[in-house]
Amino acid sequence: MKKIASIFMSFLLLGFIVTPAHADLGIQVDDPWVRTAPPNAPALGAFVKIYNHTNQDVKLLSAHADGYKDVQLHRTVEADGMMKMVEQAFMPIPAQGSLHLKPGSWHVMLINPDTVPKKGDTVMITLTFDNNTSQVVGFKVRKGKMMMHHKMH
Amino acid sequence: MMYKKVIAVVVVLAAILFYTLDSDKNYRVLKPQLKASIISHESDRVLPSFSLIDHNNHRFDNDNLKGDWTLLLFIYTHCPDVCPTELANMSLLKATLANNDSIVVPNIVAITFDPLRDTPEALKTYVAHFDEDFLGVSGDQKTINQLVKSFHAYYEKVLKDKHGKEFILQAKDPLPDYALEEGYIINHTAQIYLISPDGKKLAEFPTPHNIINMADDIDLIIKHYQK
Repeated sequence: MKKIASIFMSFLLLGFIVTPAHADLGIQVDDPWVRTAPPNAPALGAFVKIYNHTNQDVKLLSAHADGYKDVQLHRTVEADGMMKMVEQAFMPIPAQGSLHLKPGSWHVMLINPDTVPKKGDTVMITLTFDNNTSQVVGFKVRKGKMMMHHKMH
Repeated sequence: MMYKKVIAVVVVLAAILFYTLDSDKNYRVLKPQLKASIISHESDRVLPSFSLIDHNNHRFDNDNLKGDWTLLLFIYTHCPDVCPTELANMSLLKATLANNDSIVVPNIVAITFDPLRDTPEALKTYVAHFDEDFLGVSGDQKTINQLVKSFHAYYEKVLKDKHGKEFILQAKDPLPDYALEEGYIINHTAQIYLISPDGKKLAEFPTPHNIINMADDIDLIIKHYQK
């Protein structure tokens, strides 16, 4: 009986150890959103916080959404006195770390929408990572928070 | 030798005096209190003569900047991040000024860097999303370039060649034929300018824009102007 219990415990323990490395839980997203935009907006910004719970650095390689001419990874940087939009080949999410896509920083750029989504709509975006995983994430369309200088985190 | 030193000191003092008294209102006295803005030098204040088209297809020129206070910014509608943020900020600034019981809430004017794609009609739909009272301004690219230059603003277009490699075009460079089809983004300065009712650039707000501080500065400058 003891032996059975011990084997059972081992399985439990094994399960406990294995779970954090499971690919599905390795990359998590939080608060995915697209900023409301004018009805004729040629480009929209999508934002999300991406957590990497694995022990390996992970790269977001691409984003895809139906109904847009193109979807690109971008970062806004201030350089030479200008605000520059710099297209990125990938976005790095450090091991056991996170990357926050937010206005004025890293963002997904949705180009030439067939129809500009309205407040409350959900834009489905497929995020593909270099650890052979991808996730289809629903980005809620909402107004930007007063993000540039708000103090709440 | 001593005589030369005295002359040098007098010249320096005269220069300092001239520098500090270069304006009838001497806005430089506000400097210690300003949190978000830079007062323009007198010689930078006068804008060149220009004539553009607003989003209602009306002529927009120097006279439209006279009589009221204006906050002016340059934008382009294909901008996914910076320009929508700035326009949303301007809407918030308006609300903040109204909330502060400010004497004046300036008009907001957004001039496009990119009139080729930003027609008056496109601008009207775009800016109205942020605030019904905002005015979008388009017009001739050459005139816009001159105006951009006079504000010491700057922009450059980022295009991709056939192999997907990025390259940069300056304002004066002609666009290749495929540019409209393939699209381009614009790197640009994002200052906001405060124009006085005599149509002069009085102050500018560099990035990043803290709305609370901007509202305080605008109040301060307008009160000083009205003294």
